[in-house]
Parts: sequence; structure tokens; C-alpha cells
Amino acid sequence: MKPDDFEKRLQNQPLRQIPTEWRAEILQSAASSPHPSRTMRRSVLSTINHQLSAVLWFNPKAWAGLAAIWVVIFALQFKSQNNSPMVAAASAPRPSTILMSLKDQQQTLAELMGNNQPNDADQTHRAAPKPHSERRRETVLI
Amino acid sequence: MPAPPDLERLYDEHAQALFAFLLNFTRDENDTRDVLQEIFTRLAREPDLLRGARDERAFLIRLTHNAAIDFMRRRGTRQKYHDQFAEAEISIFAADENPDVAAFRESLSRALAELPEDQRAAVHLKLWENHTFEQIATALNISHNTAASRYRYGIDKMRERLRPIYEEIK
Repeated sequence: MKPDDFEKRLQNQPLRQIPTEWRAEILQSAASSPHPSRTMRRSVLSTINHQLSAVLWFNPKAWAGLAAIWVVIFALQFKSQNNSPMVAAASAPRPSTILMSLKDQQQTLAELMGNNQPNDADQTHRAAPKPHSERRRETVLI
Repeated sequence: MPAPPDLERLYDEHAQALFAFLLNFTRDENDTRDVLQEIFTRLAREPDLLRGARDERAFLIRLTHNAAIDFMRRRGTRQKYHDQFAEAEISIFAADENPDVAAFRESLSRALAELPEDQRAAVHLKLWENHTFEQIATALNISHNTAASRYRYGIDKMRERLRPIYEEIK
């Protein structure tokens, strides 16, 4: 878009000049602002903060919640470790009781073995397998 | 303590443009000085601020525009009426001995003051910074079309406002 005469006329109007004394004042004041090293120290912290923010940017609350859950898990685990020997000692049966129950089990097993011995009738039904040649001979006889 | 050399270079190369832009925006010489001071103090504190800027002038104009908006907000509405009065008094153009030229510049300055700030900024950057609409859009953080339309609205209002005196001296 080319400027028309009116726009050209406006463009040709010179703007006011910046007061010359401002240069020294502004530059001196700018230079006497907090030293860069202090800014640098602050910027290191702000950089760390920035990095952390970048990692946790999506939801800091979620990370805080996760951390809290881990704390609870550790606390519970610590508590259970402390209690476990006592619980085991309390719940473990006495040796004499174990022996008694073992004897009972052996006795029951012996009774079962005695009752379940195979009788002769069953044995007759279960004929021993014959050789294939004999089976064929039986078939022919029939 | 001497100013960092880069700061001096930045001042020498850009302060005049920033001054004119600010004076047109704030319409107050003291406010212009305060904002300009703020800009250079920030540049001194943050030497890396300009690193990576493709166009220093465009970056500084943008920084200045944002600082001026913040400054005006901070100043609030308390001085609103005073500012409106002051806007009519200040001239952003150089003085001239020729009364016709002086009258035209005074009228031009008043016509600019009557424009909304966003149109005034677009007109200023287009006419006196020779910015393209793309550069204006970048500096003012607006779209290319918005930059073009703001300039067009602004220049049409000024044309209308200055028509009598412009026809007279043409």
C-alpha cells in the first residue's frame, strides 16, 4: 500500500528530540540498579525453580498427592515391620500341639489305608492285559 | 559506576524512537521519562533480555508499549481528567518558526491525541517508524489485519480532522 500525499505530509513532520540531559541521567540510573551478580544469584534460584516448574508443570497438586501417598505407604510399612515379630510369635502354635496334630493325622491316614485295601472281587474284574495275539485268537473262536 | 557499553549503544540507537513513541502514547514528558528509565533499568538488570531478538528496535518497541500500558494502568484513573487536559497541550513534533507549519503540527498533534491509544500506536509506528503492518503486529502483539485496520481507521479520522487546515496549506 503506497502512502498518499496526506500520509507523506504527515511522515515529513519531524518529531520532537529527546532531551540531551536525559542520556546521562537514564544511563547512570540504569547502571546503578542492583548489581548483575545479585541478579545472577537470584537467577540461579529462579532457574532451578523454572526447571522444577517445567518438570511439575502439568499438575503440581498431583505430584503433592503422589508424595503424600508414598509417605502413607512408608508409614504403614514401617508400622507393619515393627508389629510382625510380635504377631508371628503370638500366632505360632506350641511344639507339643504340633506333635499332637501330627499324630492325629498319622492315625487317620492309617485308618484310611486299612479300610481302603482292594478286595478280590475287584481284582477279578480287572483282568491283566493279555498279549495282542491272544486277543485275536479269542475273537476268532467266538 | 559507568553504564555497560551495550546499554549506551542501545540508548544511542533507539532512545529517540522510544521517546517519540512514548510521548505520543503517554502525552506527558515526565511519564515518558519514567517509562524510558524503567526500560533501560530493566535492560541493565537483564543483559540477556535482547538475546535472540531478531529485530532490536521491534523488540524494544514492544517492551516499551507493554511498559507504557502497565504504567498507565498503575497511574489509574485518578489523573484521568488531568491527562485529558494535558494531552491537548503537549506537542510531539519539533517546533518551527513558520506559523503555518507550527499551526499544522499543533493540529496534527491534537488530532493524534484524539485517537484511541491502539490506533495512535499503529499510526505512529507506520508513519514515523516506517514499520510494515507485520512489524506493527509483532510490536503491538496483534494480528496483521488488526494492525492494518487500526492504522486505516486512525489515518481516516486524522484526514477528516485535519482536512480544513491541510487544504489550506497544501
